[in-house]
Amino acid sequence: MTTPSDTVDPSGRRGFFVRIIQTVHAAIGGTVAFVLGGAILAPSFAKREPSWLSAGRLDLLREDEPLAVTLRVSRQDGYAQVVDRKVVYLVRSGQDVRALESTCTHLGCRTSYDREGKRIVCPCHGGVFGLDGRVLSGPPPAPLTALETRIDGDQILVQV
Amino acid sequence: MLTQLLNWIDSRTGYRGLLRHALDEPLPKGTGWAFTTGSVLTLLIGVQFATGVGLTMYYVPAPALAYDSVRFIMDELPLGWLLRGLHFWGASFIVIAAGVHLMRVFLMGSYKAPREVNWITGVVLFLLILAFSLSGYLLPWDQKAYWATIVTINVSASAPVVGEYMANILRGGSELGALTLGRWYSAHVFLLPAVLVIFIVAHIALMRKHGISGPMTPQPGPPTAFFPWHVMKDTVMMAAVFALLVTLAVLFPAHLDEIANPADAGYIPRPEWYFLSLFQLLKYFPGPLEPVATLVIPGLIVGALFALPFLDRGAERHPWRGSRRVVTLAMLALIGGIGHLTVLGLLDMPARYDPNDWGPQSIAGRQLATGPDNTCQTCHVVGGPAAPLAITRITKDEEWLLFHMGDPVAIAPGARPEDQPAGRPRLFRLQAQAVVSYLRRARAGADDVEVSPEDLTAALTFSNMCIACHTIAGEGGDTGPNLSLVGIRRDAASLRSVISDPSSEYPDTLMPAYGERMTEEQMSAMVNYLAKRR
Ligand code: FES
Repeated sequence: MTTPSDTVDPSGRRGFFVRIIQTVHAAIGGTVAFVLGGAILAPSFAKREPSWLSAGRLDLLREDEPLAVTLRVSRQDGYAQVVDRKVVYLVRSGQDVRALESTCTHLGCRTSYDREGKRIVCPCHGGVFGLDGRVLSGPPPAPLTALETRIDGDQILVQV
Repeated sequence: MLTQLLNWIDSRTGYRGLLRHALDEPLPKGTGWAFTTGSVLTLLIGVQFATGVGLTMYYVPAPALAYDSVRFIMDELPLGWLLRGLHFWGASFIVIAAGVHLMRVFLMGSYKAPREVNWITGVVLFLLILAFSLSGYLLPWDQKAYWATIVTINVSASAPVVGEYMANILRGGSELGALTLGRWYSAHVFLLPAVLVIFIVAHIALMRKHGISGPMTPQPGPPTAFFPWHVMKDTVMMAAVFALLVTLAVLFPAHLDEIANPADAGYIPRPEWYFLSLFQLLKYFPGPLEPVATLVIPGLIVGALFALPFLDRGAERHPWRGSRRVVTLAMLALIGGIGHLTVLGLLDMPARYDPNDWGPQSIAGRQLATGPDNTCQTCHVVGGPAAPLAITRITKDEEWLLFHMGDPVAIAPGARPEDQPAGRPRLFRLQAQAVVSYLRRARAGADDVEVSPEDLTAALTFSNMCIACHTIAGEGGDTGPNLSLVGIRRDAASLRSVISDPSSEYPDTLMPAYGERMTEEQMSAMVNYLAKRR
């Protein structure tokens, strides 16, 4: 059987047509893919605007005595809203305050302050951190995450 | 290398043969532009599938979140507005393209033997497309969606005997609500697409089985191949329609009303334009005659469409020759009727709710909720126990909101035990109502307005003293006259006199004299504001 395509091609326009068809369909498909792909992928790369939260008064902090405070971080969760809790240690040295996240950098357990040892310990796999956040022993691969801080009058502001 | 791989795939799947079968379909000589309507329709359906998948990633079929998830898609998701715009406009495009395709098949008599079943699957596909529109209309859960669906379901309830059962099945109960949304969503994204695909496959397979009907008078000469000669025409049409679709979606983004408010029975529903004729028809058959408009007439039309190939059986395909004249006339009358009713319906459309027409109630509410001494900020602040107002969503019904604003500590009506009576309400009910009205408007995407201090005083006064009986900008009671445009009827002086002592003009009025109840500041702000409403 002869395919009809071979029987009618008076002037060799076939190749030209095929290319136009391919181009147009690629353009349509590309447009849809751009809109769809963009809308699907965009939130995966969105960054959250940081905000400054008041974490307490400077004069209530004692030198080198970490204080665990709970911050309420409200954020937009897509189309919903949530208020998260975040526990941070405030460590004062002179007029300077460091804020350390309390989440262990190993597998994410909540650490706690060991008053006698003057260190921060993780209950899960025995990670130990110094008051500057550095790893003293155990499996954690990195120091406790430090957050930006700022002193405004007598208030300590922490960036979350 | 690539050739080898393709050879291997072909040897295992035979895809080349399949492709050749699909592309080399011989078409009768003279198959022209009229035969591109099906391809356009296929493209549009493909776009709906793709954009629909994107939308379902974000959409939540629950009354508390549906609206906010659509808002999120529209306002915050990059390209989300375009995604929804394409889906929204695509729906209208499909209805039109399906209508054009149907007319093409009708006018060229392509439904005649042996293609009766093609035609029947086509009519089913048309009905499926309408079902898609209907079910998709509810999903954004805005005022328009909610009230139009109430009407749709009431239409089905008007059917004799089974009507109430049908309505209950459509609603998933006796009220429109969460269960309705769930089943309409499921139908829209799972059930209908599955059925649609089955019928499209059948429709195309039948088209291939019998071949394309071709021109009405067969032309002598060898057939042409579908690819690339006819595909070229298809492609040109597809490109044109797609370009138009994108243009409209970019220039006129899809609309989203205020969030659905089941408590607001004053909302006048309006259906999507392609149901407008049916909606209009309803007006001519009131009361017990209603089933004529909702059931009998549409039923006869659909029945006639299904029966068409069996009623019009002659071999003649030309629309204006022999017995074909009768069916063509009938079809023209039908289209004329639908067109006429649609135009009447369009002329009769209630004005679109305009979130940017800030009435006094929402201005007062904005002041109460965001002004310097608002009490919301006790909790709704960055770092506070509740989300800041900027990202707070209306996820509760109105009663809850009003109660919460009066007594914010007790976050559920009745939660406060009797031995702990609430203190003085933080916001009185009318004030809370104003805040709710502001929140709804703000969520509907209204632009902020500048309000002069005097107008603010007027707004606060109006929403405190007058709103129970008078309406402005769609908000308020209807015991007294609507004051939205009162400035046309009265100037400031006559407003002052009638507000100070209404009985001087209307001896029988129930309205108290406000001369003593308002301060001079309130009174002058009030009359100046009202005089401006024209
Ligand atoms: S999680 Fe903290 S040590 Fe493993």
